[in-house]
Amino acid sequence: MIELFQLTKKYTHTVAVADLNLIIPEGELFGFIGPNGAGKTTTIKMMGGLLSPTNGRIRICGIDMIDQPVKAKQCIGFIPDRPYLYEKLTGMEFMQFTADLYRIDHNRFREQANRGLELFSLSEWGDELIESYSHGMKQRLIMAAALLHDPRVIIVDEPMVGLDPAAIVLVKNLFRRLAAAGTTIFMSTHTLAVAEDICDRIGVIHKGKVIAIGTPDELKQMACIDNAGLEQVFLRLIEK
Amino acid sequence: MISFFTLIRPRIYSLRRLTQQRSGFWPRLFKLGIIGAIGGLFWGGLFMISLRALRYFNSIETLGELLLYKLFSMILVTLFSMLIFSSILTALSKLYLSKDLHLVHAMPVPSDQLFFARWIESTMDSAWMVIVYSLPFFISYGIVFNSGYSYYAQLMLILGFLSIIASGISALVVMLAVIIIPANRIRSLFVLLGLCVFIVLFLAFRMLRPERLVDPDVFVTVLTYFQAMQTPTSPFIPSTWAFDALKASLNGNPAGALIHLGLLFTFAGFLVFANLVTARFLYYRGFSKSQSANPRLFKFKNSGILLRYTSSTPIRAFVFKEIKTFIRDQTQWSQIFLIGALIIIYIYNFKVLPVEKSPIGTLYMQNLLSFLNVGLAAFVLTAIAGRFAYPAISNENEAFWIVRSSPITLRQYMWVKFVIYFTPLLVLTEILIVTTNILLKVTPFMMVLSVVTIFFMVPAVVALSIGLGAAYPNFKSENPAQSLTSYGGLVFMTLSAGLITAVLLLEAGPVYNIFMADIRHHALGGAQKAWNIGSFSLAFLINMTAILVPMRFGEKRLAVSYPS
Repeated sequence: MIELFQLTKKYTHTVAVADLNLIIPEGELFGFIGPNGAGKTTTIKMMGGLLSPTNGRIRICGIDMIDQPVKAKQCIGFIPDRPYLYEKLTGMEFMQFTADLYRIDHNRFREQANRGLELFSLSEWGDELIESYSHGMKQRLIMAAALLHDPRVIIVDEPMVGLDPAAIVLVKNLFRRLAAAGTTIFMSTHTLAVAEDICDRIGVIHKGKVIAIGTPDELKQMACIDNAGLEQVFLRLIEK
Repeated sequence: MISFFTLIRPRIYSLRRLTQQRSGFWPRLFKLGIIGAIGGLFWGGLFMISLRALRYFNSIETLGELLLYKLFSMILVTLFSMLIFSSILTALSKLYLSKDLHLVHAMPVPSDQLFFARWIESTMDSAWMVIVYSLPFFISYGIVFNSGYSYYAQLMLILGFLSIIASGISALVVMLAVIIIPANRIRSLFVLLGLCVFIVLFLAFRMLRPERLVDPDVFVTVLTYFQAMQTPTSPFIPSTWAFDALKASLNGNPAGALIHLGLLFTFAGFLVFANLVTARFLYYRGFSKSQSANPRLFKFKNSGILLRYTSSTPIRAFVFKEIKTFIRDQTQWSQIFLIGALIIIYIYNFKVLPVEKSPIGTLYMQNLLSFLNVGLAAFVLTAIAGRFAYPAISNENEAFWIVRSSPITLRQYMWVKFVIYFTPLLVLTEILIVTTNILLKVTPFMMVLSVVTIFFMVPAVVALSIGLGAAYPNFKSENPAQSLTSYGGLVFMTLSAGLITAVLLLEAGPVYNIFMADIRHHALGGAQKAWNIGSFSLAFLINMTAILVPMRFGEKRLAVSYPS
């Protein structure tokens, strides 16, 4: 469902991502962890079509992101780490805007939008301007909008930042439910406990290179640590 | 005081970095050079015009000096008003609305020191441009009156004091107002009020028809009126003290200026003290209040019907988004008022044109003016496109990720933006052209020619603005509308002016041929026909090139410039 082949991004003086190869099958919830500046957000931006890679290919649902970006993006629900939105629109208007971009018809939109706003506890705020929303509310609105067109792939950068505990539980359960229903989720996070809780597999990126991939148990074996949390495993892996 | 210096240090560092950064040094220098050259040309133009006008006034016997002083006093009052208006807006941004204030207020710094550091920045930011562009007038006065160095030295001091006084008054007003009304609303309110006052004054001045001053019959009456108007300005206004000081200095009596200089100095000092005391009690309270969200002024739910009868497409998404964000941004309203006033004055100018008094034939004059009017309307179009269409891409701000992650190409996105701005601008420009042509009573040929020329010129100017706006975006700006003064904005204005000139020059010959043949009831010769077809085709081709090339250029640059 998500295929990355020799994906590379070079900036003027640095290599942000180097020769990244990764295949994530349908229905898998994949966690992507790494220290600050490791290349997580760059990878996510390339997968979402926000950045063009210097080298390599990205295939989403079998569609090449470089050759057919519009078709590939139609399959994706993209959730960035920072919730920048059109502040002068209301929450419901932003949902309408998103629905129009994905060509969702009016009747389906109403039903989906109401359900999405209710799921993320934003129903009462639907007619308020986004500029009056808190950081967490904006993050929840982006999630509701990203799910509006029933994407087959969700790419999400730091989903838990700014969310309250109830929303974190909601998002964790939602992601697990969506993955079980066949949606592929690529999630970058610093919250290692969340990654350990919900991810089927976890990839560790360090200095632009993937240094380990596997289930949490497999990562423990790679790090030669038993009976330890993912934090210890992560620290050991990046030390190596 | 240590905190004060620490607080202004980031600003000094960022200025220093401009000269120290090695990467991109030469392109930056080139851009700065172009902006500096244009600014310098404008400054020089102002200087030449004011020097010539003042020398002319000075040559008028008995009334000349009176007129010069009256004008001097008016310039100082205007300068002081502009300083106050500019200071209010800058103080609001610097003291209450800047994004970095959250960080700064969390630091262990007394609020009066924080206020003082910000207030100094605000004073300099609000005053430098007003002062730089007022210097041509003051220097011209010095030259006309043959003043010595003391005049220029006092001038510098006085401009400094006036800036501090204007900024001091503004900061006091802002600190008090923020306690009552949210900071965001105040900015919109002041912009709106300021523009209303400006528009009313401008309209009133235009309706007085100052062009009659060049009519010898009316000129004497106007001068007599000025002579009768010798009432002094209020002694409580700082600009009066500045006037009295500078007048003494111009008359070769610099010692006589000292008392007025003293007044300015002590009042500036008093305002600094009053601001510091007020800031200690009010600044933090106001800042805290400005953090709460504004309630919406109006709540309309009128787009339901439109949504039901239009299909769900990216075009609809952006059209609705643009319209709604535009209507809800109160700072845009003032611009609309300004454009409205500009259009009224534009049309009024044609209504009062004394075409019948022209020594050239009336019919010829009417049609010549109509042809030149195409260029004028296109320049108005450039100004409006520069204000609204050029920042359209930058207006997305940091929410541009939405566009990049959406299932539309950058090309589609840019053409959607093009359509959104092309439609109203075409209607507006055609209204201008048709109305003024009707007032001029032009021939049917000129009417068709100007309507068709504008029909092709509007998409070219709009494409230039959208394309170059995409090529030089600024997604981090707090006010993207100001991007017109950036390098990309200047490139747009220059290219647009070049396009308009090229099209007019190409059409001038054929238009003259056709018009004269029509008047003389002659048929056009073969060579003339070939010339006409060639020129009109070339004008058409230039317009088409101006539509396609900037859009492609903008698309390519935008694809690589995100994220910046």
